[in-house]
Amino acid sequence: MGNGEGSGSLSRRALLQMIGSTAGSAAMYQAMSSLGFAAESTYPGPTELPGAPKGASILILGAGMAGMTAAFELRKAGYKVQVLEYNARAGGRNWSLRGGDSYTEMGGLTQQCQFDKDLYINPGPWRIPYHHRGMMHYAKLLGVPLEPFLQVNYNAYLHSSHAFGGEPQRFREVKADYHGHVAELLAKATRQNALDASVTKEDQEMLLESLRQWGALDGNYTYVASDAVSERRGYTKNPGGGLSARPVPSKPVALGDLLGSGLWEALTNGDVFDMQTALFQPVGGMGRIGEAFGRELNPLIRYNSKVTEIHQDDTGVTVTFTDSRTAGPEQTLRADWCLCTIPLPVLAQIPMNVSQSLTSAICAVPYAAAVKVGLQFKRRFWEEDEHIFGGITYTDLPIMNIGYPNTGFQSGGKGVLLGAYMWGMNAMQFTAMTPQERVQKVVDYGSQIHPQYHKEFDNGVAVAWHRAPFTMGCFGMWTADTRSKHYDDLCQIDGRIALAGEHASFLGGWQEGAVTSALDAIGRLHTRAVAQGRA
Amino acid sequence: MKGIFVMLLILASSVQADSPAFTSRAAIGSLNGEQIYDHICQGCHMPGGAGAIAAGTYPKLAANKKLVSWQFVALTVLNGRNGMPPFGQPVHHEQSRATHLTDAQIADVVNYVRSHFDNNFKTTVTSKQVTGLPHPTAELMGPQ
Ligand SMILES: Cc1cc2nc3c(=O)[nH]c(=O)nc-3n(C[C@H](O)[C@H](O)[C@H](O)COP(=O)(O)OP(=O)(O)OC[C@H]3O[C@@H](n4cnc5c(N)ncnc54)[C@H](O)[C@@H]3O)c2cc1C
Ligand code: HEC
Repeated sequence: MGNGEGSGSLSRRALLQMIGSTAGSAAMYQAMSSLGFAAESTYPGPTELPGAPKGASILILGAGMAGMTAAFELRKAGYKVQVLEYNARAGGRNWSLRGGDSYTEMGGLTQQCQFDKDLYINPGPWRIPYHHRGMMHYAKLLGVPLEPFLQVNYNAYLHSSHAFGGEPQRFREVKADYHGHVAELLAKATRQNALDASVTKEDQEMLLESLRQWGALDGNYTYVASDAVSERRGYTKNPGGGLSARPVPSKPVALGDLLGSGLWEALTNGDVFDMQTALFQPVGGMGRIGEAFGRELNPLIRYNSKVTEIHQDDTGVTVTFTDSRTAGPEQTLRADWCLCTIPLPVLAQIPMNVSQSLTSAICAVPYAAAVKVGLQFKRRFWEEDEHIFGGITYTDLPIMNIGYPNTGFQSGGKGVLLGAYMWGMNAMQFTAMTPQERVQKVVDYGSQIHPQYHKEFDNGVAVAWHRAPFTMGCFGMWTADTRSKHYDDLCQIDGRIALAGEHASFLGGWQEGAVTSALDAIGRLHTRAVAQGRA
Repeated sequence: MKGIFVMLLILASSVQADSPAFTSRAAIGSLNGEQIYDHICQGCHMPGGAGAIAAGTYPKLAANKKLVSWQFVALTVLNGRNGMPPFGQPVHHEQSRATHLTDAQIADVVNYVRSHFDNNFKTTVTSKQVTGLPHPTAELMGPQ
């Protein structure tokens, strides 16, 4: 606090900052923002690449969001484009698992997804913040309709297995009580003149009034059961109509219990820039974007093609590949330029004649562990019994998150929810299990929050990203140190080869990182190609 | 050294009773070499050290001649390499996504893989020897 100016208004700002940081601990921001940094997309608007040299060609490796963004724009600019893709489908990590799909992970275990028609999970990306303008642009261009993704649901749960006897608490209650108690404390401190040195008398009046409003305090600046408080945290009996109309207010939880529970840690999840309303999901699953892109680029993408070597010389790049299903005979393709979007754990093992600095950069970024498990239940009990429509429950159990479907509300029949979304050591351990064991464990843990689980469970699928055959990990984990040492080297064009993808961005773990890194790289490649002419 | 090893085993067996296939973050520090392999390493290297091949490869650890050098194995586990994450990072806060094993555990898992899966290397490595090797700092997670 205090950066030397010491004016009354500055210390007020500092004070409000303090309130903000009490309510939203910075540590939590880091821990729970989960994927990515709070960085605004650098998407520059629709791409223009004028004056492509006649007949210039480019090979793009990987048909994920980065590769397909590049393919789309370079084709439009007049380049001869070919894409090599390991999978039998387009999209890469942009992917949905639907009833009837099958998925074989590394090690050979295959899962048949037995969800009902139209039900799905997104094993990878599931949300698009409104300010990811590149993703928004391509979804629109490809005609993929979006619907809201509910990041914050006041009626979903915050759960600690060590607090409140393991009973999940509604987000609404925890938030109201936390704000209420903090407001009361701060009001007390203000009225006992503890803040006189930092806040002027005039401002103290404003502060008190704002605290009353913010925390739903009563006339004595205390946080106690009242209609106003129930309007925040909910009623024991909701107001209604007619003779049975009279509401019964609810009682706040004591401050000590709330602090000890640790549940406040999850309160700020929706305050992080990347998680702020509005967020979107494609209707029918995130994979709709990759699928639409694949159709759009169809003749350009060669599927089931596993790149095994990348070699450049003075006039072009030769890429060796095999059939990824049969490991059949080696084939080669050649072009003037190459844009490689292969995830780094895979690329690190592919021979490629580039500079030592680029090689070191490729080897410097380990990929995070992550596991997602989709569970189909015989009915949408979270809606029917608990009135939770979309959004996320957070828990200290190994499953970490439960994501409720943000679509198909109140529809009859079965429902699929995201039964776990975990990282770190939790995810590593679940990766080491068989898919059946993962699903079973997730059902067991989840039943501590939703007792209906065991009775209503139907079937499930589990995706552990370190076993994903096409990425061998969830996303690239950069640190301040590795960024300063290697990031620029990773993004620099090396002769005729450039890298792009989520790993080559400051939006790590976001599709927008893949899109913006691709646009940035092809812009630079294009400048070089124009400067050099065809050769 | 032996004392620590025995203690680890005792702690670990109580962990096992709790749940055979999952250990809370807090209890991970008490897993022994075999358990670390089953809970963590086999996520990539597969049961029995069989390895796996897809777009890239998780090397087979079974009958792997490279394991002759305990330093090579210990350095790989400590600092990671390419797609292998480092396990020698300093401990972070509870929700951390970092992967951390103690030097004693790393010694134990190194000994385990070098003496199982058709590997028969007689020399064993101690926690102290692992401590003597370069570790990643909080900032440096990549390979050396
Ligand atoms: C669990 C999880 C949750 C996520 N949540 C979100 C989210 O909510 N919102 C969001 O925007 N982002 C999210 N992300 C991040 C997002 O998925 C990625 O940033 C983005 O999809 C990466 O695109 P890419 O083109 O860089 O890589 P990829 O999509 O991985 O594309 C790379 C392509 O290269 C191919 N390939 C690999 N090896 C070879 C080879 N040898 N030869 C030929 N082809 C090869 C692969 O098959 C793949 O198609 C999440 C990711 C995960 C895993
Ligand atoms: C996230 C996946 C992953 C996990 C978990 C993992 N490894 Fe690895 N491991 C790899 C990859 C990838 C390589 C190959 C690295 C390279 O490119 O040289 C590797 C290489 C190795 C090697 C060298 C083998 C060789 O032939 O080069 C050893 C030994 C090893 N790992 C041991 C372990 C042990 C012990 C554990 C558990 C503590 C473990 N690994 C956990 C991915 C993993």
